[in-house]
Amino acid sequence: MIGFAAAALAVAAAAIVEILVPGQGLYHAGWFNVLLAALVVVTFVAGRRYYRRAARSRTRIATLVLVAGTAIAGLAAVTSGLFGPDNQTLIGAPGQRIRVESLGVLAFPLPSGDGAAMQSVTLERPLHASVAIGERGRDAGSFILHAIARDVVYVEARDLRGNRLTVTQPAGTAFLSPVLLMQHRQTIAGLDVPYDSFNVPALRRIVKAILFSPAQAAMMLHGGAHSGEPAVLFAVDDENERPLPHAIALSAGGRAARAADLSLRGSVAVYPAVEVVAAPNLLAAIAGALLVLGGAVALIQRPATTARTFLRTMLPSESSMPLGGST
Amino acid sequence: MSRYLVWVAAAVVLAAAGYVLAPFFFSSASRPGGPAGLAGETAPVFPLRDDRGADVSLDRYRGRVVLMNLWASWCPPCRAEMPDLQRLADAHAGAQLAIVGVNEGESPQRAREFADSLRIRFPIWVDGAQRYGRTYTALGLPTTVVLDRRGIVVRGFDGALTYAQMESAVAPLMEAH
Repeated sequence: MIGFAAAALAVAAAAIVEILVPGQGLYHAGWFNVLLAALVVVTFVAGRRYYRRAARSRTRIATLVLVAGTAIAGLAAVTSGLFGPDNQTLIGAPGQRIRVESLGVLAFPLPSGDGAAMQSVTLERPLHASVAIGERGRDAGSFILHAIARDVVYVEARDLRGNRLTVTQPAGTAFLSPVLLMQHRQTIAGLDVPYDSFNVPALRRIVKAILFSPAQAAMMLHGGAHSGEPAVLFAVDDENERPLPHAIALSAGGRAARAADLSLRGSVAVYPAVEVVAAPNLLAAIAGALLVLGGAVALIQRPATTARTFLRTMLPSESSMPLGGST
Repeated sequence: MSRYLVWVAAAVVLAAAGYVLAPFFFSSASRPGGPAGLAGETAPVFPLRDDRGADVSLDRYRGRVVLMNLWASWCPPCRAEMPDLQRLADAHAGAQLAIVGVNEGESPQRAREFADSLRIRFPIWVDGAQRYGRTYTALGLPTTVVLDRRGIVVRGFDGALTYAQMESAVAPLMEAH
């Protein structure tokens, strides 16, 4: 009995641990899921044998509950491990809606204006109310989601007469977005910095934007950046990606800078991305674990009650030797 | 009694299996990318200004079919498409069809000069922050979105349309009145 109860508890514990410590590569490992499935099978086979041998209905019910709980918790854990996707960070442009398979639609907020406060990404699922995703993990069925704050750059391009120009990102997440998500990285003078690029089709220009944190800006760009302010370095190429003369400029603290025939302004803002981690279905895992726990407790209590029944049969009457408690 | 309990337990486990597995096998069908994928959703409304500086909003067009065309002056297909949009506006003058041109990311002066050069008379709005372009998931310019009288996106098009395509996009909605 102890063996199959221990196997059941191990399966339930694994499912709960996968929820409490989500996102570990181990959970998707084949051997790990085979092990969990094997424990479920062992519990089922041993439980079936135990059920048939049990003399009391209470023992049979406890065994059934334990086996059913193991099956449910194991199913939740193995399903997540085998079918759940690897951890992914979804970076969406403001206003973009990203459909995630088996989950729903993540709606990325569109700030009401430049410099507006960061809003939350919203998860929309059929038959569920929309939920905002914060920095604390949010359970969504077989997934756990949480927001990550990232630095993005809102760019504005003007011609030298001050006319605003369309910014496009042909290789970006959203074609018509003036928000650079800074998903690429490069090393400049030993500093690891994020960069992105955009086009100004009206003037046939391709612009690379490199983001420096306040500390990096102070260290790298002598005199160009004020201390405590992030800076965006712009490098302007023609449409064939050939560098132009006087085409490198620094925009610090959101101020405009002139590069080639453009006036460019880069404002750094914080914008959420969403980390999506597969996890056992919360409801199924908890229900399974509770059933396992309940079944195990009922089974463990069995020897005491059996002993009590034995004593009852041996003694002349229950009243002559009080045992205390109820059966 | 025992057999009954076994069946109950089996049913509970099966129900749990369905609940856990369903999202992985019966997720909703993926939608096409770009503006076509917005069909069925309520069109977002952003307060904008037109090319003469007046406040404008899509809300004011509720009750009318709206053909919203996103464009920019540097875009040759946008220029090629504009006369047909004006022709459609003329053909439905007085009817419950509104055609709105939304300039993406340029200054009002540039938008007005462009519209004047092509003798465009339908409303030209200026979306400096390119918010409509972003929310309509434009894959390029021009992008055209057709809204029904309730402001729901019915169709979305990537690229320039011919006059016949414009007519066929709005005709069912006009007839549905």
